[in-house]
Amino acid sequence: MRNMFADAPRTSLTAIYWAFLLYLLLPLTLMMAMSFKDANFVAFPIGDWTLDWYAKVMQDKQFLEACLYSVMIAAASTLAATTLGTWIAMLIVAEGIKGQVIIFALACLPAVVPGMISAISLRIFISTIDMPTGTAAIILGHTVHAVPFVVVMALTRLRSMPGNLVDAARDLGADSIVAFFRVTLPYLGPALVGGMIFCVLLSIDDFVRTFFLGGYRPTLPMLIFAKVQGGMSPEINAMATLVLVVTAAVGLYAEYMTRRARTR
Amino acid sequence: MQPVVQFDNVTKSYGKHVAVENLNLSIEAGKFVTLLGPSGCGKSTSLRMLGGFETPNSGRILLGGKDVTRVPPNKRNVNIVFQDYALFPHMSIAKNIAFGLELKGFDNQHIHRRVSELLELVQLQDYAKRLPSELSGGQRQRVALMRALAPDPEVLLLDEPLSALDAKLRQQMQIELKSIQEKTGKTFMFVTHDQEEALTMSDTIVVMNKGRIEQMGDPNTLYGRPGSVFVANFIGETNLLRSTVVGTEGDQAALNWNGVTIKAAQGGLTPKAGDHLYVVLRPEAIHCSAAEPESGNRIKGKIRQRVFKGNHTSLSVEVGDGTMLNALVHPADVSQLNGEEIWVGWKPETTTVIPDRHAHN
Repeated sequence: MRNMFADAPRTSLTAIYWAFLLYLLLPLTLMMAMSFKDANFVAFPIGDWTLDWYAKVMQDKQFLEACLYSVMIAAASTLAATTLGTWIAMLIVAEGIKGQVIIFALACLPAVVPGMISAISLRIFISTIDMPTGTAAIILGHTVHAVPFVVVMALTRLRSMPGNLVDAARDLGADSIVAFFRVTLPYLGPALVGGMIFCVLLSIDDFVRTFFLGGYRPTLPMLIFAKVQGGMSPEINAMATLVLVVTAAVGLYAEYMTRRARTR
Repeated sequence: MQPVVQFDNVTKSYGKHVAVENLNLSIEAGKFVTLLGPSGCGKSTSLRMLGGFETPNSGRILLGGKDVTRVPPNKRNVNIVFQDYALFPHMSIAKNIAFGLELKGFDNQHIHRRVSELLELVQLQDYAKRLPSELSGGQRQRVALMRALAPDPEVLLLDEPLSALDAKLRQQMQIELKSIQEKTGKTFMFVTHDQEEALTMSDTIVVMNKGRIEQMGDPNTLYGRPGSVFVANFIGETNLLRSTVVGTEGDQAALNWNGVTIKAAQGGLTPKAGDHLYVVLRPEAIHCSAAEPESGNRIKGKIRQRVFKGNHTSLSVEVGDGTMLNALVHPADVSQLNGEEIWVGWKPETTTVIPDRHAHN
């Protein structure tokens, strides 16, 4: 007869997995459920259901403005980070450049420096150079944070690129700039799209840097933070649910893109 | 006639390693020229220097009479077919071929016409819109060839383009390459370490070794009259018999090999009695028989190994003091060679001699 405990490690592993999923999804599910509650405070029982909170959120000018502001900052910092990150990655794989390991280490540093430290140092930096807090400062902060992720993704793709593709382009009459835009960049394409979406998510999500570098105009996380301080309401749940759904969709798409980049 | 490519005393070294040393080479227009040699002999470096991807340390490279030594690759009228094809993975076949034409500034109509013409030449018209990843190895090979031919280069450079293909396809592509070269009348400079490829396709073979030209000539000459032990060993299979010259008779030399007197064609040398020479004896020149041959060179030997190869049998025959001779025997003749003891015979005019360089130094 089989020992009934033979499967114990396997069973416990499965149990831990399900427990983790529950732990991950339960708070999110509760938050979403509460956003449909037809009452003014967040607590069980839910009783009646409604979509009023969503209607209210969609008419909330503050919320819409904060969304727009966040998206604008994300777009600007993503563009800057992608350009910088690609350039640094090219530098790291280029022949005949010294200190490539150091460049790589420096490029990756912002990803590991704690957000708080990075935010404070950036704040000190901008006041030293007399830069006002606000949009430009936030974009600067988000760009610095996002560059390492672009570098790593671009680098992975560049290292898998056959070395003679650029040679072939040069051989067929392309100078190094044409070869970059017509061969290297399209080859990097999928990795860069993945990296850019990651940058967008990092920027939208960022609170600490924005808090230290921002002016009076709130980004989305700052607005939600301010509203939570005024007390929980299902309206905040509705806001958070919207943000969650949109970012999850974007994140999944990014994952799909990078997966495709790896298999192609 | 003005040669299309000239290497004028070209030397290229990487640190202490000399890849190409004082290379002097002229290539005539319209010829299929092969640089042949083992890896590290400098053949690929020479090709990359002509392509513009390496700059010589000294010497000049002329293309159509013009000095291009320091001209960047995009400004030279030569194109390379790379070893692993280097097709642009994100472009369709037609776009790949059109790449060089676009950069030369041709109008769309001309490009379109040229691309379809080239696709037709290799029967890939139906694949124009596909991506390189959707093609087989042989098809990719053809596309790479057409992409390099499209801008109408003065010389087409081919860097071991067949090495990634399997044996059968490789043979087929050899014939196709040669026929494309003849159809287009282009100068092909082909780099390979495969002597069979070189023999099959080339008008001229340049055998390279350790950064220098070992010997240059048409396939027949290189096979029939190798100028050095290296060439004799590298091209085809061969038996080398180190012998001492006894005397000369007409255009033949009489030699002493391990106490046996053999005769050999002098191969343009003027040997004197006492010189040491290698006799080059190709396996297919040997005739094996049970009875002693009446004329020509003959040595008694013992069969040590028989390897059946389908259209022939390869015999290892031990002669004299343990020297092994490799001989090819026709299937019809094998049945007569039942016993271990046989006679190995060959005609003096089917062999040639090579000086033993070490003996002179």
